[in-house]
Amino acid sequence: MLHIEGLRKSYGEQQALLGVDLDVSEGEIVALLGPNGAGKTTLVSIVAGLRKADGGVVEVGGVDALSRSREVRRMLGLAPQDTGLYPVVSVRQNLRLFGELSGVRRSALRQRVDEVAQALAITDLLDRQAGKLSGGQKRRVHTAIAFMHRPRLLMLDEATTGADVETRGHILDLVQRLAEQGSAVLYSTHYLAEISSLPATVAILDRGRVIARGGVAELVSAHAEPVVELAFHGDPPVLADLAAERVDGDRLRVRAPDPAALLVAVLPTLPPGSLAGVEIVRPDLESVYLALTGRRYQEADAAGAREPADEGGGAGVSAS
Amino acid sequence: MSPRASWAIMRHEFRVMLSDPSTVIFVVLIPLLMVAIMKELFATALRAQGYESANGSEFGIPAMAVAFAAFGVGYAGFTFFRDHGWGTWDRLRATPVSSVDIMVGKVVPNVMITVVQLLLLFGLGGPLFGLVVTGSWLALIVLILVLAVSLSAFGMLVTSVARTMNQLNAVGSVGGMGLALLGGAWVPVETMPGWAQAIAPAMPTYWAMEGFRKVILESGGLDAVLVPSLVMLGFGVLFTVLSAWRFRFEETKVYYG
Ligand SMILES: Nc1ncnc2c1ncn2[C@@H]1O[C@H](COP(=O)(O)OP(=O)(O)OP(=O)(O)O)[C@@H](O)[C@H]1O
Ligand SMILES: [Mg+2]
Repeated sequence: MLHIEGLRKSYGEQQALLGVDLDVSEGEIVALLGPNGAGKTTLVSIVAGLRKADGGVVEVGGVDALSRSREVRRMLGLAPQDTGLYPVVSVRQNLRLFGELSGVRRSALRQRVDEVAQALAITDLLDRQAGKLSGGQKRRVHTAIAFMHRPRLLMLDEATTGADVETRGHILDLVQRLAEQGSAVLYSTHYLAEISSLPATVAILDRGRVIARGGVAELVSAHAEPVVELAFHGDPPVLADLAAERVDGDRLRVRAPDPAALLVAVLPTLPPGSLAGVEIVRPDLESVYLALTGRRYQEADAAGAREPADEGGGAGVSAS
Repeated sequence: MSPRASWAIMRHEFRVMLSDPSTVIFVVLIPLLMVAIMKELFATALRAQGYESANGSEFGIPAMAVAFAAFGVGYAGFTFFRDHGWGTWDRLRATPVSSVDIMVGKVVPNVMITVVQLLLLFGLGGPLFGLVVTGSWLALIVLILVLAVSLSAFGMLVTSVARTMNQLNAVGSVGGMGLALLGGAWVPVETMPGWAQAIAPAMPTYWAMEGFRKVILESGGLDAVLVPSLVMLGFGVLFTVLSAWRFRFEETKVYYG
């Protein structure tokens, strides 16, 4: 449904996309991950025709999105990162306007407004002025707009930012339902945890490139290993033959494809009474990200927010 | 282009406008106040030009109507900046509507509001200030329509070059005021210095005032307003072409600051 190849984009000196390749099939939900400044918003903006690409291929449903943007926009629903609503008219009017502009027939409009409102639990808000809603309520309405015409390609840019648990649940449910009807979904988020509640595959965007693509389990087993963390009373001992990393002063982290075997081997070698605790850290997307970039997801976020030119390394597990 | 999409945007624009009618009221009440205050001054100027029985409203009403319509060219642009501020500009652009649909949907309501504003002022001129239109009301309405079109097109042009709301305000409102002043809508052209009289015909407002004078004071009909109307329409087309050439839909406009 969405085919992107070699997509490049820079804003003057600032390079945002350096050759992005990405495919999303019908019915597939792709979680687009990446730290601040990775290029997620730039990517969806180009697909939606809001920004011009410098080069590359973007096709939606086989239609060239760069030259036939209007045709592509008929198939596409976008909830941009920044909340965009007309604050001085009602929620219903907002949904109706964008529904109508997206091609929902006027006779079907009322019913569609009700359906979407119900799915996102904003029925009670329909006749309120959009500008007078709370931030999270606005976010729901903002996201609801993208669903109005049941787009064949749905792109949500950090839709769940600022949303409470319930709202997040509603949004994820609706995303899943749309995908079940055959739509492709590109879902950018900073919450690694919410991806596990979706039947989603993952694309990790970092500094303008897709550095990993696949299913969650697949990526985790390919790129990350479990880690055993040993906590000690006082200074940790030196472990022979093991690449252990000292963290927080009195703890050691050891990568272990087989944590049980590692523990059996290591525990007898420790000085009696020195061990304070043992923790097995199962790999997750966070570890994948760490393994691929040498940066922690959250730290990369913080760094990206300050200065995009922070060259790798820094934090993280010592190479083994 | 899709009439259905433009129409949907137009209805929506009206809804947004009516959510805050204060500006619309402002641009009708203040010009009436100005006419009330300056009527005697205008009467003296008109009598000096040989319109013996003039009471001042014959110049005052069209002048203040044109001046405030020109002053309001910024409103044509405001609807774009507002959408940038609300984050709805990109949302509109992400729908399958064309840029022409968006332009038409946003500019036509502005033209219509300007027409209503002008009609109200001329309509209230009689009962409030004894304005007598000696010529054709139809001709007057034609002038009002083409004036509203040319001013809204000027507003588009200003919007296409302004990147921030402050620039829009400066060029739109102050520029609009200059347009009215130089076109002879604050004081009669005949009383202006020679250099100003020389450049006055380069202003669409000059032609509006010229047309209104013929209809109100000289019993003019449709034939009398033909030239002024065509010139104003020409300005409208010129401004539209220039702004279409200059307008960048993907440009981010700054609403605050
Ligand atoms: N309008 C712009 N002008 C100049 N540079 C820009 C512009 N928009 C984005 N950039 C730059 O392009 C890069 C990618 O930005 P983008 O907004 O696509 O990142 P993102 O992955 O969406 O980040 P976030 O998680 O913070 O939303 C960043 O380095 C950013 O500074
Ligand atoms: Mg973003």
